[in-house]
Amino acid sequence: MAAPKTSKASVASETSVALSAMWKSYIQNTPDRLKLVDAFLVFIMFSGIMQFAYCVLVTNFPFNAFLAGFASCVGQFVLTASLRAQVNPGNRSEFNDVSPERAFADFALGSIVLHFFVYNFLG
Amino acid sequence: MRFFVSALVSFLALANNVFAKSGTGDSVLVVIDPSLKKEDYSKFFGGLEERGYQLTFRGPRDAHPPVEQYGIPGFSHVILFTPETKSYASDITPQSLVGLLSENTNLLVTLSTKQTPLSSLSAEFSLIPPPPGTPLISHHPARSEPATVIPIPVSESPLLTPGTSPVWFSGVPHAFGNSPYLVPILRATSESFAADSLDDSGADALVDASEKAGEGLWAGSHLGLVTGFQTLKNSRVVFAGGVEMFSDEYANKALPDGTPSGNEKFVKDITAWAFRETLALRIDNTTHHRAGEEVPPETYTTNDQIVYTAHISAYDPKTSSWKPYSGITDMQLEFTMLDPHIRIALPPVAGEPGKYQVQFRAPDRHGVFKFVVDWRRKGYPLLQTSTTVPVVPPRHDQYPRFLSAAWPYYAGAISTSVGFFLFSALWLAGDVEGKKKKGLKTE
Repeated sequence: MAAPKTSKASVASETSVALSAMWKSYIQNTPDRLKLVDAFLVFIMFSGIMQFAYCVLVTNFPFNAFLAGFASCVGQFVLTASLRAQVNPGNRSEFNDVSPERAFADFALGSIVLHFFVYNFLG
Repeated sequence: MRFFVSALVSFLALANNVFAKSGTGDSVLVVIDPSLKKEDYSKFFGGLEERGYQLTFRGPRDAHPPVEQYGIPGFSHVILFTPETKSYASDITPQSLVGLLSENTNLLVTLSTKQTPLSSLSAEFSLIPPPPGTPLISHHPARSEPATVIPIPVSESPLLTPGTSPVWFSGVPHAFGNSPYLVPILRATSESFAADSLDDSGADALVDASEKAGEGLWAGSHLGLVTGFQTLKNSRVVFAGGVEMFSDEYANKALPDGTPSGNEKFVKDITAWAFRETLALRIDNTTHHRAGEEVPPETYTTNDQIVYTAHISAYDPKTSSWKPYSGITDMQLEFTMLDPHIRIALPPVAGEPGKYQVQFRAPDRHGVFKFVVDWRRKGYPLLQTSTTVPVVPPRHDQYPRFLSAAWPYYAGAISTSVGFFLFSALWLAGDVEGKKKKGLKTE
């Protein structure tokens, strides 16, 4: 009787221990800039989920508006994720010929173009 | 002297207005059988001239004046007092008479017991002529005249003056076919019948026919005596079963109960209808535009509010002019593309005589639509008009924008943009600080 309980409890506690260790390591080891990028990513993901939930649960009536808003979130997420990948110092070996400034410039240009299309399609 | 001249001129000008001319012209050709005398019908012809018509008399075999020449009718109206004529001059044939009707000429035709081209003409107008030689006979009411001279009570009709006394009639009845354009004016009494002799030798045949559920039954009030026909060109023809009805003798004859007959008034009314003085309507013009605008646009858009207006006038014989008429209560407007998408009443506008107006929403279909007014009533002219308009779908910038249902999406897109700007501002601020730090470090 006691053995399964402790194993279950130990499994649960092992998972929670692993998660909290991961979280601590993230807080300590990630540079501030990457944390900024990650915060932006979380915000975009949250916004996209909210729009999708509204579309599925309430109405998809101005469908072009849904597509525009959702595409705005997805596109911005992709651009920001690629910025994070290129700027991460740990990936320096893969992105040798792309300086962080170049990565940010690409990101900014892509985002401007994305927002232009989004507002045109938003109707 | 001057005073007299001006008085004369003004008197003549005013006198012109007293005449009740027809709206279609006042020249009348009277084709009268040589066996009939013009003087016997002096009251009828005198009444016509008094109303302003110019009468021209000729016999059926005279070639001059012709009813039409080279396809153009010579007169506005033709009266055919030729009940027994079997052969005419070459210009009067059933075909030429029908051609006259197509050219807006009105006819008044009298029939008789003889088979003439006119009785076969009446068959073309879906009237069924009786067997030859069978005049209308009635033994009621008791009277001193022979049984073929019958007083017929006049029933209510929009064509006739209400309260017209019974009219004397002598002639043949006819039965009605199926045409909806027939306008029965005078029907036989229920005690009358058509038979070929005054003694009752044909009574058995009649009784048999009535027992066979009315097949071949030339008796009763389903028979017509005076019937009008309104053509699609709005010309009118009246078939009268006998010519004696128009004569002075019948106009002066007193009814069995002593009161004067209604013949004079009756023939005046039927010629007024036949020559398009009474019950003459026309559509003056129609307009259409969007609600709130005055001028019709080049194209309408689906779901537009459209206002359609029609102006209708009736001919007033007393003043010989067309006056606005608001008496039509059942006019309909159809907005049609192959089928009527909208069918709506077109009511008269209170306070504006002659104007009929309705506002409706254009349907949600695009295409080429027609405003159709098609009003057909017995005894009245056909009022028809059709206006074609295009209805286009909304242009790309005419759809509604900033819908309230889409605000979550607007908020999402805007927040993403705002977040992007904030993020890049923070990123660049961090960059500057980093550079400053780096600069400091290297130094």
